[in-house]
Amino acid sequence: MVRYQEGDFGAAALLIDRISPRLHRFFLSKSMSRADADDLLQETWLRIHKVRHTYRPGESALPWFYAIARHIRVDHYRKSIRAAAGERELEEMSKGVSSAPHQAGELEALLAPLPESQREVIAMLKVEGMSLEEVACATSSSVGSVKQKVHRAYKKLRETIGAKAPRKWRSGGLA
Amino acid sequence: MKDEEIDDVLKKAAQAPQDLDPLVLERIGDLIKPSLRPVRPLPPVWLMAGGLVLVCAAVSLAGAARAGFFGVAKMNLLERSLVFPALGLLACLAAVSFVHRMIPASRLRVSPGALVVLSSVALLAVFARSFRDYHTDHFFSAGIACLLTGLLHAIPAGLLSWLMLRRGFAVNPASAGLVAGTLGGLAGVGMLELHCPNFQAAHILVWHTAVVPVSAALGALLGWELRFRARSAGR
Repeated sequence: MVRYQEGDFGAAALLIDRISPRLHRFFLSKSMSRADADDLLQETWLRIHKVRHTYRPGESALPWFYAIARHIRVDHYRKSIRAAAGERELEEMSKGVSSAPHQAGELEALLAPLPESQREVIAMLKVEGMSLEEVACATSSSVGSVKQKVHRAYKKLRETIGAKAPRKWRSGGLA
Repeated sequence: MKDEEIDDVLKKAAQAPQDLDPLVLERIGDLIKPSLRPVRPLPPVWLMAGGLVLVCAAVSLAGAARAGFFGVAKMNLLERSLVFPALGLLACLAAVSFVHRMIPASRLRVSPGALVVLSSVALLAVFARSFRDYHTDHFFSAGIACLLTGLLHAIPAGLLSWLMLRRGFAVNPASAGLVAGTLGGLAGVGMLELHCPNFQAAHILVWHTAVVPVSAALGALLGWELRFRARSAGR
């Protein structure tokens, strides 16, 4: 990241190769189409490039990437909802009920029953392997709040995975 | 179902092959390449926060110099030693918080809402301890004049602070605006304490303290508006 700040294109290309699949998966975990995820990935990198000076050497880079990706995703989310159904629907969906139809991948299908904020935290913590503190930084919240969201998400996942299709999920044949 | 089993299910799902088009990555590289040049990272947090406190102090002093230092001249030593250090400490806290708000993924120790409440409650406590004149003359007329004067100094202090940190990037402009507004509000209260010779407890507790939450609300509104405009422009 420091070499990227110094203007090294090799370092930038390496970062793009390594971080993009994670960010792409992060976008896909939000019930988003592949084309939208591609667009947001590109938009995120343009923003990352524009504000790369705000990364502080020595700090963990992953939360920084995710904080920017999250910002882009929230903007996209609000824009698309406004365009589709106006303010009333925005308020309802921000409460956490996601029902946007799309071609779900394995992870997306698994996380689909979760509210938006819990899905985001689970994706970062359990899928990307970030620490509680890193997730708290990326989501501008406290560690306690992240823990609470994880707890609630697991409760919900336990209900949905355990009750609806235990064999399917456990066997790994998700799609 | 146990938590470990859910972990396994999530891991399996995450390991599923992901068909990210290499052309997308290539296109991103091509977009970035032409403007790739060395950038100077942001200065240390303490330096930016120190600069913000100095800007706010300068606004307060300039305002009081123009209007007169009647308040500080009327204060006794105890009042001065309680009011100004408290304002200084709160301004430092707000400045550090604002700097963190302008750096993505910066660790937040105090949430913006808590900062507004903490600043207001701390000021109320200090003012209640310092000013014991319980008469209330011209409560509304004198109070509104002070509130407006405080806000007239809070707004430039908040805007200058925002301008100072324009190289930063607020992932949540509304909460960054709230913190900038709080910082500006503290500058406004500083000006009032230097200038206002009305030491009636009710006047100071209500109207001087009100500068902080009102300024914070204005800052949040401005931040929200900026984000809304940026989003509309991006359509």
